[in-house]
Amino acid sequence: MNAPSQSDPRLEQAAVTDESLLAAHEKVLGRRPDDQGHYRLLPLNLLFVFAGLIFFSGTYLNLYSGHFNPAIYNEHAKPHTGAAEAVAVDPVALGKKIFTGTCQTCHQITGLGLPGAIPPLAGSEWVMGPEERVIRAVMYGVQGAIKVKGADFSSAMPPNGKVPGSGFNLSDDKIAAVLTYVRQEWGNTGGPITTEQVAAIHAKEGEHKQWTSEELLKIQ
Amino acid sequence: MSPAPANAEVTAVDTTGRWPLLLLLVSAIKWLVLSGVLALIASIQLIQPSFLADCVVFTHGRTVALTETAFIYGWGANAGLAIALWVLGRLGGAPLRALNWAVVGTIFWNLSVLLGLVGIATGDATGVGLLQMPRYVQPVMLVAYGAIGVAGVLAWLGRRHECTFAAQWYAVAALFLFPWIFSAAQVTLFWLPVRGVLQAVAGGWFAQGAWTLWLAPLGLAGAYFVVPKVTGRTLPSYDFAPHAFWCLLVLGAVTGGRHLIGGPVPAWIASLAIVACSLLLFHYFVVFINLRGAFGAGGTALKLVAFGLGAYVLGGLVDAITAFRGVALVTQFTHVDTAQEQLALYGGFSMMIFGAIYYAVPRLTGQSWASAALVRGHAMLAMLGVTALVVSLTVAGWIQGHELLDAKVTFADIASHTRFWLLLAVAAQAVLLLGNLLLLVNFCWSACRACCPAEPADSVAFRQPAAMEAPAS
Repeated sequence: MNAPSQSDPRLEQAAVTDESLLAAHEKVLGRRPDDQGHYRLLPLNLLFVFAGLIFFSGTYLNLYSGHFNPAIYNEHAKPHTGAAEAVAVDPVALGKKIFTGTCQTCHQITGLGLPGAIPPLAGSEWVMGPEERVIRAVMYGVQGAIKVKGADFSSAMPPNGKVPGSGFNLSDDKIAAVLTYVRQEWGNTGGPITTEQVAAIHAKEGEHKQWTSEELLKIQ
Repeated sequence: MSPAPANAEVTAVDTTGRWPLLLLLVSAIKWLVLSGVLALIASIQLIQPSFLADCVVFTHGRTVALTETAFIYGWGANAGLAIALWVLGRLGGAPLRALNWAVVGTIFWNLSVLLGLVGIATGDATGVGLLQMPRYVQPVMLVAYGAIGVAGVLAWLGRRHECTFAAQWYAVAALFLFPWIFSAAQVTLFWLPVRGVLQAVAGGWFAQGAWTLWLAPLGLAGAYFVVPKVTGRTLPSYDFAPHAFWCLLVLGAVTGGRHLIGGPVPAWIASLAIVACSLLLFHYFVVFINLRGAFGAGGTALKLVAFGLGAYVLGGLVDAITAFRGVALVTQFTHVDTAQEQLALYGGFSMMIFGAIYYAVPRLTGQSWASAALVRGHAMLAMLGVTALVVSLTVAGWIQGHELLDAKVTFADIASHTRFWLLLAVAAQAVLLLGNLLLLVNFCWSACRACCPAEPADSVAFRQPAAMEAPAS
């Protein structure tokens, strides 16, 4: 039998027994609180390493985590500031919606009105006529007799804008939208009407009462 | 059976656990050699694409999947479990129980691996990295793993000593964590598959978890046991070992998202993984401080552990660096990824396990290894092979990564520029295979000698170990 030798690669000699290995290491762990009851501090270099790693990690996550938003795939994306961007609305689409809810009951989906009771909008000289008149008619309403496409009507049109007695309180941009819609639907050829035009008349007339057709005809 | 040796260094744990643990180890080494052959074929195909290309079983995609599966589930699992059970038994202080379960589990595990390899070769692979075995063998493996693990859990629960040691923590953690990640990955990827990019997230989580939560702890269990046993000194700064342990367990699996950089996943998954890779440096740092006694002391077994420790720590450092998006831009999906994997699995895990095997087998057989030349030869070839493999693949991958970003360079040019380094990688695989053959021969020879009732005349005698002195406080 050969003499035991540490350098023999056939057998790596053990220096210590299992039990003493366990006991010695347990003693290292067990002595952590010292006699005064203070806990042993981390060695300074380990403390610096760990603190540095945590600082770096926090900064990195703050910069590149996309604020943990599942919809952000680009780590450089900036989070939204909260204010929603204004989206341009198609006035014809908005006008159609307002027409359906406000005007269609009387003037009908065809824009033809009811013969003898409600004047038509399709092909109407009032609708396609001067903007000054049609804006006033829709915003403040019309009462008394009115002649449309050669036929006489006597029903009243209620005020629709944000004016006294209005049943709908449509804002100026909604008045502009519904007029723009009506002036291009059913083969009508009137140009679009802007919110500024409506606002100017609203400011000029203030709390005007319903118009009559004679008053409107005086306005050019 | 040889009579129980009078020496305190060969305990009842070793004599009762001899054959079950040697069965695990011989299975492991057999798969290691097979995986080496497959790895050699796969690496030759990188420089000679027509090599075996007509044979559907050995097309490149399949040889890579076969290599990986044989290595992880054949070599890694068997060898790691053998070392974990042995360490738990030794430190538990009582003979291992439920070893008949372990034997049955070993047989079924290895039959499953064989069936899995046949399944991959015939086209049943799943296509998820590290889980390529066909889904029909995976539940069997889970049950077989449980049967093997029972012995370890019983050794932990029935330990004779109140106190515990770091090697036990890592071994028990690995025993429990693998069934968790393995079953969770199976459910989320195969049985009730999650949808869309979540599959990539689950796959990445498993692939990283198999390394950080399973193989790395198994290797560390061996290293933490062998180093103080051989050096005879308590580990320096051992009071930080629990921090390092929990650091690995908490952060380990989170690092999976680093493979998804640039992928169609929310930015925070990759960012969190990058941060976890950096924070894990604390774990590597403490492990290095604890086990630094392995450098410059002891014999071949300890040298292998020291090499493994160096590779393990270096691997962690490289992991933290290449995780950054700026670096990953170059290294991701190149040979650098493969180099990193080899550095961790071969350089880190396997070397620590080799060291533990060289330390453990003489205790299990009750006598020294059969041949000193084969031990030396294997250790030298393994260190040389791993170094050459990792260096050559890193250089090849770095060239490849830079040239892939340049639209003017064609694929053919990249292939010719990396050719020399890939040739070197083939040579490294051949060296590793040769070394592992030496291990297989030496292991079988030593195991056969243990069957003979008479102790061979040239066996080295065990020296009586002393009591470890507690450090002066």
